[in-house]
Amino acid sequence: MQRLRAKLAPYFLILPGGLWLAIFFIIPTVTMLSFSLMTGNEADGYQLTWHFQNYTDALSTYWPQFLRSLEYGAAATILGIALSYPIAYWIAFKGGKRKSTYLFLVLLPFFVSFVLRTISWQFFLSDNGLLLSPLKSMGLVSQDFHILQTTVAVVLGLTYNYLPFIVLPLYVALERVDPRVVEASSDLYAGRIATFTKVIFPLSLPGVFAGVIMNFVPAASDYVNAEILGGPNNTMIGSIIQDQALHVRDYPTATALSTVLMGGLLVGIFLYARALGTEDVLEAAAR
Amino acid sequence: MNEFDPAFLRGITQDRRSFLRAAGLVGAGAALAACGVKGAKVSPAKADDVAKFWAGKKQNGHVDFANWASYMDANHSPLKKFTSETGITVNYKEVITDDPTWYGKIQPQLAAGQPIGYDLMVVTDGIELNKLVQFGYLAPLDHKMLTNFEANAGAAFKNESFDKGNVFSVPYATGYTGIGYNPKYVKEPITSIKQLFDPKYKGKIGMMKDTQELGNFGMLLNGVNPETSTEADWKKAAATLQAQKPIVRQYVDQNYTKSLSNGDLWITMAWSGDIFQENLSNGSNLQFVVPSEGGTIWTDNMMIPKTAPNPVDALKLIDFFYRIDIAAMLTEEINYVPSVPAVKAQLLKDAQTASKSDAATFTTMASSPLVFPTDAELANLRHYVNLPNPGAEKIYQDLFLPISSG
Amino acid sequence: MTDTLPAIELVGIVKSFTSHGEIVQAVKGVDMKIAEGEFFSMLGPSGCGKTTTMRMIAGFDEPTAGEVYLHGNNVTGVPPNKRDVNMVFQSYALFPHMSVFENIAFGLNRKGIAKDEVTRRVGEMLDIVDLGGREKRKPKELSGGQQQRVALARALVNKPRALLLDEPLAALDLKLRQAMQVELKRIQREVGITFVFVTHDQGEALTMSDRIAVMSNGVVEQLGTPREIYERPATKFVAGFIGTSNLLSGTVSEVIDGHAVIAYGPEERVLVAVQNGQVIAGSEVELTVRPEKMELSANAPHGTDCAVRGTVTEVVYLGTSTNYNVRTSSGADVVVFTQNATSADDLAVRGDSIWLSWEPRHSYAIGAPS
Repeated sequence: MQRLRAKLAPYFLILPGGLWLAIFFIIPTVTMLSFSLMTGNEADGYQLTWHFQNYTDALSTYWPQFLRSLEYGAAATILGIALSYPIAYWIAFKGGKRKSTYLFLVLLPFFVSFVLRTISWQFFLSDNGLLLSPLKSMGLVSQDFHILQTTVAVVLGLTYNYLPFIVLPLYVALERVDPRVVEASSDLYAGRIATFTKVIFPLSLPGVFAGVIMNFVPAASDYVNAEILGGPNNTMIGSIIQDQALHVRDYPTATALSTVLMGGLLVGIFLYARALGTEDVLEAAAR
Repeated sequence: MNEFDPAFLRGITQDRRSFLRAAGLVGAGAALAACGVKGAKVSPAKADDVAKFWAGKKQNGHVDFANWASYMDANHSPLKKFTSETGITVNYKEVITDDPTWYGKIQPQLAAGQPIGYDLMVVTDGIELNKLVQFGYLAPLDHKMLTNFEANAGAAFKNESFDKGNVFSVPYATGYTGIGYNPKYVKEPITSIKQLFDPKYKGKIGMMKDTQELGNFGMLLNGVNPETSTEADWKKAAATLQAQKPIVRQYVDQNYTKSLSNGDLWITMAWSGDIFQENLSNGSNLQFVVPSEGGTIWTDNMMIPKTAPNPVDALKLIDFFYRIDIAAMLTEEINYVPSVPAVKAQLLKDAQTASKSDAATFTTMASSPLVFPTDAELANLRHYVNLPNPGAEKIYQDLFLPISSG
Repeated sequence: MTDTLPAIELVGIVKSFTSHGEIVQAVKGVDMKIAEGEFFSMLGPSGCGKTTTMRMIAGFDEPTAGEVYLHGNNVTGVPPNKRDVNMVFQSYALFPHMSVFENIAFGLNRKGIAKDEVTRRVGEMLDIVDLGGREKRKPKELSGGQQQRVALARALVNKPRALLLDEPLAALDLKLRQAMQVELKRIQREVGITFVFVTHDQGEALTMSDRIAVMSNGVVEQLGTPREIYERPATKFVAGFIGTSNLLSGTVSEVIDGHAVIAYGPEERVLVAVQNGQVIAGSEVELTVRPEKMELSANAPHGTDCAVRGTVTEVVYLGTSTNYNVRTSSGADVVVFTQNATSADDLAVRGDSIWLSWEPRHSYAIGAPS
């Protein structure tokens, strides 16, 4: 009895973690992978036939949307960093006692539902809307110029909607930069620019790293922005997966596409971490 | 972790075989879910299904009703009246945004034989309705209890092709898909689908994202009746629509009336009632036409999921909507084609007692071809494409989906 | 001091902050001259304005009024990166993402010094601070003492006109602190740069400094050599803050030959030097006497001019010395340190009636200008 208990104890100890892993990771992943190799339809059912052709079929049909999603995700991430950095920098270094108030103000719009926010952009960017109407009446842009249903609109929407995912980690990283270290830099003959490029920016890299991942992954798999702000040539892979899963109910195609997307993003993150030097980043993050 | 019993680590690392056994158990569970998924097809309905289903079912005093957005007045007056007359309370939720999504939401519960949380729902004729019927997810209706329907429903709305004899469904409202345009920008009369393909409207044209709607218009332009179309017709239509794509601004789903009134779109595929409603609520002057090539007619239908806990209450509510006064009440609000022809007379009658502005609206409505189409117009309307089996469905979707999501 | 320009000169420095809507003066008019090559300390409790004063020398804060001169040049309003002084921060403020080498080379690289020269000078500095071979480490891989030395090297390698050190030893443990005190002194001698050292530790200041400015409440209480400050505290604050001081007070009975005489009783009297005309008979004076200057005896001493009677209230044996707490006949509580050099026996036990005596030159009047 004693022996048995001693033998079983380790398994009981890993049970919570193991269950967590199984429920939230292993079972969904295995299910997804197996679905992606099935053939069949809703009426007759689906059989696991190791039909790897699902992948080649899905990819050969939808590679433009894949590529587009990665491009849009990257563009939104770069724009997002460019926009968030000054905001996060200002709050972290110049916010003083009102830091949390400013942060709250930045995040306030994001308490509104995702879809509603995106629809409000639709109004803003509309052909005769707040932005274009004055420009058109001043003759700055031609009458048939439009932003809605273009790449610009989708990327703007993605950038805006995922802004907090960059602002927050950037703010946290910048907030953690010791002001004495910044003073030390200026004491050691570094001007504002050198202090930024040599000290502040390198120290904020963990925030940039986290922000890029947290922004790029959901932005590249987003479909709401493309649906609401995009046109016929702006469909992203998220829409395709949604259509295949919910509308066409072609589970094998949907899961094959999801698997490729997941794998692609994982590889991307891995390469990105390698390029940036994960060790340095993680080291800096662990400070 | 530092003061750890080393036996723990040994237990995991050295005793690998039993660990693998445990891991295998987890894997097996996953594999079980993975080796295949059963088909949903059931054997066709039999004559005694109705009796079998309704045997022993009782009125429970409550019904949960799922409907589309803006498909009843804000006060839900017909439902209030229903409750005050029958004592049956109604929980009304406008949760349906489109058929495929709704079907995707309820299908797992229906397949598992569980209630979906609603006793009554409204689904358009088409692929999803066909599946609900085919897979045996719907309760067969007991026509003995549908006295108002039998007495008041128009002949055109009984016996529609997608559910002959109204075995599982009866219409809630009917509309058609045609062309909507904003005369502020479009300075010529619109009569033809060809005008949706006119390059002078480049960047201002809307087509519907829904593959059935989209495909229908491609076929109609090519002179094909969608209801009797073949795979070759689909391919041709897909090519036609693909060629149109460069001048299309957007493949629209729900918000297109706003775009049409604010000038983002000038001309678009549209549903009749939407245009009527937008004009009424925003004072716009949008126009709707059934094109000379023909438009499509569709019907939103009321039905009861087989797993509904309150089917008797639901059936009573269905029949309530077929009382002439209630049908008129609904039409006055939603502006779609009623299934009860007597509504026209009722509208004119209501106009006499209504306030001045309402009276004018009711009179306009009674003479509107959008709400009461003429026989000639009805003759020009086609039913949706018929997709008899899953194979055909896949072929169809693979042809048209890449157009709307390029 | 020679007639060369002072390395650092502060003229009428005032610094006020706004805190909760009220204006608070952290530094209230400080003047000081720090000579070339001097080891100068600013000593005081936290909040006395010493760090603020140093930050104004470095250029991190600008004075509300007054001027800062470095070698005769007015640098008020000049940003820190344009001032030829370097700072060693209390927490070292090393760049965590750079190696030891990169940290030390930072200032030289900013100045655009050639690469070979940078390598050579960093190497030299590594030797001076005894960190040779550790140039590739990251700061967090070093001990506290090593980090401290990197911080020192990072500042010194630039050969600044003055080095500012803000409580650099506060984070080290006692042993390391003592070793670093000696080390700092050695390095200062070696490089010959002016050191301005901020500390709240009087022992540290006394050990290392050429001169000390004792600060309190935003003003300089006393500026002098360690010996001056210790033995002749100018104010009650300095007396209390530096070491242990015995405070006596009384009414002046007469002034003889530049000394005020306070008579407590028969044979009990205390002499303290005062300036002529400053103190007259009948005025109250306060004076201090360091505990180690007092002698304790059982009988009335002969041949001394300062003697009071008292009762021993506590005896604390400390090995090399013994401390006696004594209540004098006038009611003052004083401490006497005696070396245990000759006798192993205690001079007195608790409750004994004893005499305390000292030489008049060890009494210092407080508050009176010297």
